[in-house]
Amino acid sequence: MKTTVIVNGNKLEWFAGMTIGDVLEKMNYTFRMLVIRVNGELVRKQNYATHEVPSGADIKVIHLISGG
Amino acid sequence: MTRISLEDLQKIRERKEQEDKSYKAVLLVCSGTSCSTSGSGNLLTVLRKEISHRKLSQDYRVEPSACIGYCSRGPVMIVQPEGILYEKVKSADIPEIIDCLIAGIPLERLCHKDTTTDNRVPLLKDISFFNRQQFIVMHNKGSAVPAGIEDAIAGGAYQGLAKALMMDKNAVITEIIKSGLRGRGGGGFPTGLKWQSAARSAEEKKEPPYVICNASIIEAEPHLVIEGMAIGAYALGASEGIIYLRREAPQVSARYNKAIQQARESGLLGSNILNTSFSFDIHIRSSAGAFVSGESSALIASLSGLAGEPTAKYIHNSEAGYKGKPTVINNLETWANIPAILERGADWYSSTGKSRKSSPGTKVLTMTGDIVNPGIIEVPLGTTLREIIYDIGEGLADQGQLKAVQTGGPSGGFLPVELLDLPLDYESLSEAGSMIGSGNISVISHKTCIVDTVRYSVSYLKDESCGKCTPCREGLIALSGILNRITSGQGKEGDIELMARIAESMQLASLCALGQTAANPVLSTIRYFRSEYEQHIRDGKCSAGVCKALLYYLINDNCTGCTACARNCPVQAIAGEVKKKHVIDQDKCIKCGVCYEVCKLNAVTVQ
Amino acid sequence: MIEIIIDGKKIEVAEGTTILDAARKNGIPIPTLCHRSTVEPYGACRLCIVDIREGNRTRLVTSCNYPVRKPVEVNTQSEKVRKTRKTLLEMMLSRWPNVNLIKQLAREYGVTSASYTHPLVDYSSNACILCGLCVNACSEIMWEDIIGFAGRGENRRVVMPFEKHYDACVGCSTCANICPTGAIQMTDDPNHPADDKRISRYGARVTDEVALYDIEQCRMREVGTAHLTEIMNDYDLLPTCNYKFGSHDEAGKLHSDVFKNKYLTQGVPDGCWLGCTMACAKVAEHFELKTGPYRGEKVLVDGPEYETVAGCGANMGIFDPEFVLETNFYCDTYGIDTISFGTTMAFVMECYEKGILNKERTGGLELRFGSAEAALEILHQMGTGQGFGVIVGQGIRRLKKIFAEKYNLSQQDIDFMQDIGMEAKGLEYSEYVTKESLAMQGGYGLALKGAQHDEAWLIFMDMVNNQIPTFQDKAEALHYFPMFRTWFGLVGLCKLPWNDVEPVDNAETDEPAKVPKHVEGYVNYFSGMTGREIDKKELILMSERVYNFQRVFNFRLGFGTREHDRIPYRSAGPVTDEEYESRAERYDKQLMEKWNYDITGKSTTEKREYLRKSREQDYQSLCDAVYRRRGWDENGVPTIEKMKQLKMDFPEVIAVLEKYYSSYTARSS
Repeated sequence: MKTTVIVNGNKLEWFAGMTIGDVLEKMNYTFRMLVIRVNGELVRKQNYATHEVPSGADIKVIHLISGG
Repeated sequence: MTRISLEDLQKIRERKEQEDKSYKAVLLVCSGTSCSTSGSGNLLTVLRKEISHRKLSQDYRVEPSACIGYCSRGPVMIVQPEGILYEKVKSADIPEIIDCLIAGIPLERLCHKDTTTDNRVPLLKDISFFNRQQFIVMHNKGSAVPAGIEDAIAGGAYQGLAKALMMDKNAVITEIIKSGLRGRGGGGFPTGLKWQSAARSAEEKKEPPYVICNASIIEAEPHLVIEGMAIGAYALGASEGIIYLRREAPQVSARYNKAIQQARESGLLGSNILNTSFSFDIHIRSSAGAFVSGESSALIASLSGLAGEPTAKYIHNSEAGYKGKPTVINNLETWANIPAILERGADWYSSTGKSRKSSPGTKVLTMTGDIVNPGIIEVPLGTTLREIIYDIGEGLADQGQLKAVQTGGPSGGFLPVELLDLPLDYESLSEAGSMIGSGNISVISHKTCIVDTVRYSVSYLKDESCGKCTPCREGLIALSGILNRITSGQGKEGDIELMARIAESMQLASLCALGQTAANPVLSTIRYFRSEYEQHIRDGKCSAGVCKALLYYLINDNCTGCTACARNCPVQAIAGEVKKKHVIDQDKCIKCGVCYEVCKLNAVTVQ
Repeated sequence: MIEIIIDGKKIEVAEGTTILDAARKNGIPIPTLCHRSTVEPYGACRLCIVDIREGNRTRLVTSCNYPVRKPVEVNTQSEKVRKTRKTLLEMMLSRWPNVNLIKQLAREYGVTSASYTHPLVDYSSNACILCGLCVNACSEIMWEDIIGFAGRGENRRVVMPFEKHYDACVGCSTCANICPTGAIQMTDDPNHPADDKRISRYGARVTDEVALYDIEQCRMREVGTAHLTEIMNDYDLLPTCNYKFGSHDEAGKLHSDVFKNKYLTQGVPDGCWLGCTMACAKVAEHFELKTGPYRGEKVLVDGPEYETVAGCGANMGIFDPEFVLETNFYCDTYGIDTISFGTTMAFVMECYEKGILNKERTGGLELRFGSAEAALEILHQMGTGQGFGVIVGQGIRRLKKIFAEKYNLSQQDIDFMQDIGMEAKGLEYSEYVTKESLAMQGGYGLALKGAQHDEAWLIFMDMVNNQIPTFQDKAEALHYFPMFRTWFGLVGLCKLPWNDVEPVDNAETDEPAKVPKHVEGYVNYFSGMTGREIDKKELILMSERVYNFQRVFNFRLGFGTREHDRIPYRSAGPVTDEEYESRAERYDKQLMEKWNYDITGKSTTEKREYLRKSREQDYQSLCDAVYRRRGWDENGVPTIEKMKQLKMDFPEVIAVLEKYYSSYTARSS
């Protein structure tokens, strides 16, 4: 059975060992100024590549951008 | 001038040799800085005129010669092929010189007089000043090389480059490493390793490197430097070189410009040098006139249009230097050694130098001070200070007694007589608290006050400090102030310790070598001449009689009360009745010495 | 990562990290004087020296600029270090005995008085200690070199050129703020602020943020707003071929790096606002023009901003950076807005592709998407008042009417133009694809001036972050942000430093999108300038008054009601089957999940038409929610209660509004 995580309200297929970095890649979130919370907990930028997300996690990737 | 090929070099050499043989003699007037300031330029003109006037131009060739180094005897003239040397030549001597030439005999009164035998020594090779030296950088001394590039080639120029161009680039670097050559700018870093490091960086970064010549003012022939840089550029894959000259020496710049121009015209600089695929050109850039701009990071700043202030050097120039590219900065003397290494081989070079323990090669030195033979000399590394001072320098002048030797320039340490047998090499001098530095050997006699000399060195360095970092700027201000006090009789207990502390912090924490080495004069004299400081501070005495404030003029019993001194004293410091012994008021006395001069009875003494 | 040891503690650091940074990050204190994180380490004071061991030898190095490149053992408090630091402090104290910073540091090393009389002793407590921070800040942060060091050694001093006052100094106070002793004072401010130090305190914070973080945030200092092009493309929001699509394979040709590496001059102070640290106005110098009256000349192009890259580029289907620069230049020269030009041209090009225009009608120009030469020809015509360009120069609203009348178009074509003509209230849309963001549709459609994003920019908040899912959430955003953003116009401040740079801890605040620390700053600038204490609520109230007043002006011109807040369908959804299919998966999903529409067996056209009805309905519901939140009636007219609440119920104002209360008829559902 497939398990998922929720990213900004969208379902994303999960795999064991999935990191924030993977999430960003799959969602094609290339923007630099992000605020990421996994189940409400803030994850710092330097940890994106290593922080693993559990299956079923509610992930908020807030882009702080306001146009030119 | 046409482009020269590899074969042409040899042809030109042969042709010039033949040409010189066609003359009865070649007359050379030394064009080094010292002889120039003594009027050798004018001498040359007069000589040429006289030769022409006597219609002897087919028989005698007249040219300026490369620096001979016999500065105390200038203007110097040399007659080739015999190798006769004339000292202190004046324009008035010219007619007689030519008469002797025609007669085929030397003009004895202008020949060197041996100080021990009193005999005249007409030939350069027999003069003791020269025969203890070894000439690599100055091997063309006394030759017509300054006349132009063909004379330089006749003197061997560009042979080294020709050889290098036949070798693989890396093989050239290996040769320099094998030679054991160390940087002659004062740092003494192994030149070959510096090149290797830069070559590696250039390859990794895929960026062409730069080669830069840090031209301290020494008398090396421009073509020697140009050739050395070309060899280096070839080995490193550089196509641009810069010679960074001091603004204080405009005549050097003219000489280099002429040499570069001729080299370009002959295809020895520019595209396809010696008709190979190697292209390289040199530009001359000038400093704004500051001692500190000779420091390599300050040099780079200056070249980049900034003030000549040093910056951190934790990332070496060989990795990122000029314009952020791998850069080799070598001292002019270092570059001048390169052609010989290529021409005669690393094995030969590594066998020069006095002993296995010291570095190979020679060092060009300027010997100054209370010495019989001040001048520019070139000696194998490892030669002892004693040999330099007594054999080559022929000892102290004016019956002086040797007190100290300051080696390396104004930031060199002062070494006592006990250390005269130290060999001239990087480690020995450094351990003793001094350095090879710029190669200055300053001979100090008993008539010189060490404290006053240190005061002078420190004051010079204080003016040259760029002022960026605390220890050098504040340290030199503080030391200068303290030394001024000591030499004016206001030294305090604790001054020596304070100076030592300040100097140590300069040595350890200064941003660049100016501040670091500026500690040497202070620390070495505290180490070896502490008693002289103590004398000034505790006893208020200057044994050399130099520090005016510590001199006392006293009137002794010889005084008959003639009032001559009192009448001449500019500050009315002498009191006394006619025909009664006079007294000097020490508080008013300004130590001008007029009373001492006017007294005919030896009644005024100086303590 | 490299392992180093500092005072016996093992630490892992990235290559290139300085020993000082590594130590401080690990709670190991090292004294400094001339160091600040916002400028490059200078290495002048030498207090930060540490003892390092390399093989057998140890030596002192300055930790502020020693980069770690291999394992090293560091001692920050060895005897050699302490002794040397002590001597350095002795010397500093001798020269500057009353500077508190030095007295403090000296005391820590057991030095309480001068060891000798310094010939240049300065007894002032505000003495200049030659740390160079002011010089380096002016040079590195402001990209000016208005102050510098003169003199050597004991004559070293900080001066303006030739020791005269230099006019180029605009009093940005960066040097005064960074000076550790107060040696630099600001004087004679012609604006007479009530409390200039208060303004400085908050302003200096932003200066530091820009200096430290811009390079890893928006890169405004490097490329300005043009950094947005690649981001919009990545998120499928870059208007391409008249807003049909949101990305393109060739968009990389317009990447900000292309402009940075080849065209934009780096490191020069801002052309729009001297003294601004963000300095995002970029220029391309020595650009050779290929067309027009200055053809062949090398000119300075002021730009390009993102809008120009997208509008005079991707939106026309042209991916040539030099076209962007040339168009930027000539629009500036002719006095034509690049957004209006870009969006209008995109409309014209789609009309040409549809057959509404042809060569005869355009005077021989083939105006397809991607036709750069023809587009520039139109621009020159527009600027010089000739040919078809004169017609195009009237803008989309009038063009729709002109084309309909002149070319005797079918109703289908007329409807098509209405759908694809990207204008609202007569103003051409700026360059963001709003198709999938209802909130942003409102942002454009409800903006008082017309379709511009200065009031609200909510695409990411809405579409990507999914932070405003309900109508109420969107309405709340469409209240706060327009009110907040209007405030900048009230006080004459640029809004970019508000959120194009952020404090590092912004992520941890409750509402990072509002950048609360910067809002605090604005409140303090206002109070510091005027002497009037306000809070952030009052800031919004100020704007609300003006905003509603602007709405009243619109009414006075006849533009105020709901019907004028309508938008072309291209901005809300796919107009053509081609567009639907380019995002079929998304649209199918929405139809199924949101609208419970069974798509099995339905054609693209059928699905598209159903989606359209739903989205148009959504937009109206959004308007309802927004009007309610803003205190306006169902026709979008500010109510009397609202005007009373804002203390704007002046008789002249009410007189205008009253006409609209009575003319409203209830909208049928």
